[in-house]
Amino acid sequence: MQTVKQTSPYIRKAVSTKRMMTDVLIALLPVTAFAIYRFGFDAIIRIIVSLVVMIGLEALAFGMLHKAKKEGTKIEKIKSRYEEYSINNVITPAISGLIFAMIIPSKLPIYAVIVGAAFGIIVGKMLFGGLGSNIFNPAAVGRIFITLALTPMFTGTYVGVDLVAGSTALSTLRSGLGFPGVLNSYPLMDMFMGFTPGAMGEISALAILIGGVYLLIRRSADYRVVLSAFLTFIILIVLAGLRLYPDQVLSYTLMHLLSGGLMFGFIFMITDPVTSPVTRPGRFAYGALVAVVVVLIRLFGSYPEGVAFAILFMNMFVPLIDYPKWSTNKVKPVFIASYVVGLIVFGLVVFFGVGGSV
Amino acid sequence: MIARTKYIPDGKKHLKELPILHYLDAEYLYYPVTSARCPEGETCVRGGQFVKVGEVIGTRKGAFFEQPMHATVSGEVVGYENHIDQSGKVVNCLIVKNDKKYELHESIVDRTDEEIDALTKQEYVEIVKEAGLVGLGGSAFPSYIKLDSKDPIDVVIANGVECEPNLISDYGLMMTSPEMVIRGLIYAMKASGAKRGVIAIKKKYVELYERLSFKLKEFPNENIEVINVGNYYPQGWELAMIKEALKIKIPQGELLSKYGVLNFNVSTLASIYMAVKKRLPVLERFITFSGDGIHNKTFRARIGTLMTNLIELAGGYIDEEKPKVLILGGPMMGTNINRDDIVMTHTTTSLIVMNEEIVKEEPCVHCASCVYSCPVQIQPVQIMNAYKVRDKDALKMLEVSKCIECGLCSYVCPSKIHLTEYMRSGKRFASK
Repeated sequence: MQTVKQTSPYIRKAVSTKRMMTDVLIALLPVTAFAIYRFGFDAIIRIIVSLVVMIGLEALAFGMLHKAKKEGTKIEKIKSRYEEYSINNVITPAISGLIFAMIIPSKLPIYAVIVGAAFGIIVGKMLFGGLGSNIFNPAAVGRIFITLALTPMFTGTYVGVDLVAGSTALSTLRSGLGFPGVLNSYPLMDMFMGFTPGAMGEISALAILIGGVYLLIRRSADYRVVLSAFLTFIILIVLAGLRLYPDQVLSYTLMHLLSGGLMFGFIFMITDPVTSPVTRPGRFAYGALVAVVVVLIRLFGSYPEGVAFAILFMNMFVPLIDYPKWSTNKVKPVFIASYVVGLIVFGLVVFFGVGGSV
Repeated sequence: MIARTKYIPDGKKHLKELPILHYLDAEYLYYPVTSARCPEGETCVRGGQFVKVGEVIGTRKGAFFEQPMHATVSGEVVGYENHIDQSGKVVNCLIVKNDKKYELHESIVDRTDEEIDALTKQEYVEIVKEAGLVGLGGSAFPSYIKLDSKDPIDVVIANGVECEPNLISDYGLMMTSPEMVIRGLIYAMKASGAKRGVIAIKKKYVELYERLSFKLKEFPNENIEVINVGNYYPQGWELAMIKEALKIKIPQGELLSKYGVLNFNVSTLASIYMAVKKRLPVLERFITFSGDGIHNKTFRARIGTLMTNLIELAGGYIDEEKPKVLILGGPMMGTNINRDDIVMTHTTTSLIVMNEEIVKEEPCVHCASCVYSCPVQIQPVQIMNAYKVRDKDALKMLEVSKCIECGLCSYVCPSKIHLTEYMRSGKRFASK
């Protein structure tokens, strides 16, 4: 009889990374379906382009990152680079690709889609070492890259602004129409169902929530980040609403919740485990900080929208949150105290700082 | 699954239903001269000498204690041979040829109840020491040292949790002879001066709870209760068990006796009973074969029996041609061995034979399942990363030394990364 050397434990739980990642893809289905329903062929072509670019470039970069065997024919050498290529190297770029397609407008030129997706997967992920090693959310990296590099396409000085992004509720708010006037053009119910202009997947809160509920039930996303982010966001926006429009706090809060990439970002992007901290308190803190940055950008920044920015910005702080000296998995009283104090401080900043038409 | 894992399937149901086969007839019995805790040892018998059950045949020497070895059969000493013991190491063993008469040594006479009542703490300690009793839960720590504690003890707790999958030895003992456990607990309480005794078992063992409670009715004067603890893993870890059963939170690294607690495995208590009442050392233990690579059987066999005899009796391996993983102990913390000529020692209660399953490691996606599941609240994933870059300071900051190597981090990892191995390496590296 042949015995094998192993070390304890000898059994493994029946879970896999593949399952977790497939769950995210499944959770993205309602949003994707709605985008295709709303934008038809425009959506399909951009989704396919984004998927092909992301999966293809990941495969290419994967081969370049792995060493080939010394001997053999050229084909064999190339094959040997892909010995460790697994289904996860298809599913994860597919998630990034789908998310990227969902956060761009339906009329964005195809070359911009290609540039964004390529930048996202190469610079945002593969340069860091591929799956599990990236610091930034690849989709957010791609999106922010084209936002900055091709700014006119998003801000309106570009010819045919309405063709590209359309005016969203937030940009209308900014451009002077103000609250509650904005609700006349963008009723809350339409914003919830998704019949407003905006990025393809961000507009329908309903579809996003269906996917989000699935993700959380399957435990493939951590509820802590989502809970903490929504909680912080709502508290701060309610405070801003109390200051600005004391008699319409509810509709003001709902408008902020339903507009822009907030729902999508808070459910599909900040839950990306690779770019999250690894402890309970860390994840609560991360969610709260993203929400704070979103609120600060929306209320005080020069951009109407800031979810992708906020996520990238806080991604940078993840190693700091996880720094061994203070990272701990215990939810200690000092953490709860600082969480509350932080909320109060930013609450005061928001309450006494807001003004103008935001 | 980004969530805390507390339950693991225990695979005990079909094992509990197995009949217990009493195996006595081994031709030769083997007694390791050394053990993991005792690197040195010597025998005090010669080849050809006739020994009897319970007779001292040698001494193992540890760092700060000595431990007598006892013959578990009567017969002739015939020589020495190398075999594997519970820790997986090759050890030199004394061989006794079984004459199958099982004559008891002259010193083995029952103590009367009056004699037992008159025993002082020091005498109890002496009895336990002479019987060579060790922690039978797996630690093999000498029991007399625990019993000899200077701190005042309020409560003696009997650990019957046995949280690892596939292990049913303690369960079998409590079901077949609960009286031995209870009497052993009473002796331990008397020896330590504790007023209260507690038997901790898993909540889901309803039948066991009833059996023990029913038996306890025969001891109305004793303050002993059976307490249910959760069905989690690793609930059998003494700190987790004490926290749930007694609501006493003891920090890691502190002595239990400082908090007035004395913890014994139920099998250890039964062995204390045998030593005090009958002056016998541990003679027999339950041993269970489980896993998909072997015919599953439960035996009661004498200490010193060679496992190959038992395997043969069980019907051998299944799918002999497949590569197998041999495990002594449970599937979460057991020892891997590469030969099956294992000598049964005090702590051998389970042999698991599994057909090899190759698991492929994927990159870590930072899902933090390991962090959430860790019973000592450390961060396996960060320790792994710190160990990979050999960052000693970070390893110390991450408190790698707290790790109890329960194996949960490897178990839950969706990427199938062997985190527990990184924990072990990290511990070694940090303490270098």
